[in-house]
Amino acid sequence: MNAQLPFQDFQFALASHLRHPHRVPRPVGISARRATIYHGLVRNNLEGFLLACFPITHKLLGVRRWPRLVDAFFREARCHTPYFREIPREFLHWLLTSPSLPITFPAWLPELAHYEWVELAVDVMDVPAPVYNPTGNLLDEQPVLAAAAMNLAYVWPVHRISSEWRPRKPSATNLLVFRDAHEAVQFIALNPVSARLVALLQAAEGVLSGRDACLQVAQELQHPEPELLLPHGADLLEQLRAAGAILGSKK
Amino acid sequence: MKSHVISGAGLGFRRELLPELKAKVPDSVSFFELAPENWAGMGGGSARELRAFTERYPFVCHGLSLDLGGPSALDESLLQRTRSFMQQHGITLYTEHLSWCADDGHLYDLLPIPLTADAVHWVAARIRRAQDILGMQIGIENASTYLIPPGAEMTESEFIRAVVDEADCLLHLDVNNIVVNSLNHGFKASEFLRALPLDRTCYIHVAGHYVEPDGLVIDTHGADVIDPVWQLLKEAYALCGAVPTCLERDFNFPELGVLGQEVEQIATLQANYAMHKNILQRAVA
Repeated sequence: MNAQLPFQDFQFALASHLRHPHRVPRPVGISARRATIYHGLVRNNLEGFLLACFPITHKLLGVRRWPRLVDAFFREARCHTPYFREIPREFLHWLLTSPSLPITFPAWLPELAHYEWVELAVDVMDVPAPVYNPTGNLLDEQPVLAAAAMNLAYVWPVHRISSEWRPRKPSATNLLVFRDAHEAVQFIALNPVSARLVALLQAAEGVLSGRDACLQVAQELQHPEPELLLPHGADLLEQLRAAGAILGSKK
Repeated sequence: MKSHVISGAGLGFRRELLPELKAKVPDSVSFFELAPENWAGMGGGSARELRAFTERYPFVCHGLSLDLGGPSALDESLLQRTRSFMQQHGITLYTEHLSWCADDGHLYDLLPIPLTADAVHWVAARIRRAQDILGMQIGIENASTYLIPPGAEMTESEFIRAVVDEADCLLHLDVNNIVVNSLNHGFKASEFLRALPLDRTCYIHVAGHYVEPDGLVIDTHGADVIDPVWQLLKEAYALCGAVPTCLERDFNFPELGVLGQEVEQIATLQANYAMHKNILQRAVA
């Protein structure tokens, strides 16, 4: 890397002051008023992207802890994405990896924030539109899942958390979040067996028949007679089709 | 088939305006502008809705995160993605701010470049590289600033002219930013306008702004366009012809009809001036 040019010294000095106005003095020759204006503009703009994605996290952290978390993110994180919709992902990454955060929060908070981000991520996920037969047989043929989908396993029941209810103890939670045929984001709670079935279908990308996927799950459960589980498997696949998570069978 | 080349008066394409735009686009709107950082690489319903508009109207790409004046490496993958996005949607003009927005990480807002010869060379080299990747000349926009970095070796208009000359790029003239800066830094907007390399003007912005209690003017794009901005727009048209002009509105949205009237006001002004010679042909070729 080339040596820093003199005008870049100013840029680093100004940015450093904006990120940490109480600790880093403003560059020489800059009025306090004008530096304060920039600090407010940059910091509040950044917060705006986070507020749009994390309304529940914001509400539950409250007016004392939330701004401190935003200030620390602005000060310490280094975001490299030029895309504004990816700022929340950078925030999550920072929240999960930062060695020291300025506030304390319940153990479930990072999972809640992740769950809030998932809605945005699935909404804008750029995936090719799949080709499928909406009325195809889901056991004999290969089920096709919604292309924009995330099959999530949380330690906490994140989908139930609100200002009225917060969990006291962990409770394993499987959620399938997907974009339906009308491009709307949908959430369904799965049990561990159905979550495993969805994971197999998702990994197989339309090459595994519904029957083979169900038999594999039965085997993993060490079921003595895997064939007996097939009617349940067929029901489950049809429920997922009715919910819009399975679009149909591969064409 | 729609033309890909913009002319007349346009409007910033915002998600908040989509429900009303889907019902009816005001007749005064001849084109739209969008930020590639908001729309490129986007899937789902938003992408489908955008496609429905780019099939009917010409669009301009107005970048926000390219960080032309910044100290970090130029984001070439952003430029490559922008290039393919522009090809997908038949977009033939890209403009960015003459400013910087990152140190060793993004700040997501536009900051003033020190007005030095070193900075001219630095920025011009980055613009040249951007033009190579995009395969066209780009427009650079005179930015609004709330402070002038110390150690300036030239005036802002001299800086802009030097960058445009050295990079062989176009000028995206923001008349609102000139008015904002003239109030915040105490100079005459009209003199500043006349000192710019106006023969390179490819595109114009107008917008509204916000005045703080102590008189400092903030370029918010959240209010109606004020009279001094309309006056300066007329002056710009008298000097460079009726350049394609976009109304920027980023928040505090009124009904679409109100924005349609402001766009109409742009189109009405343009009708009094000769058509701007199409400088964009060079960019498209």
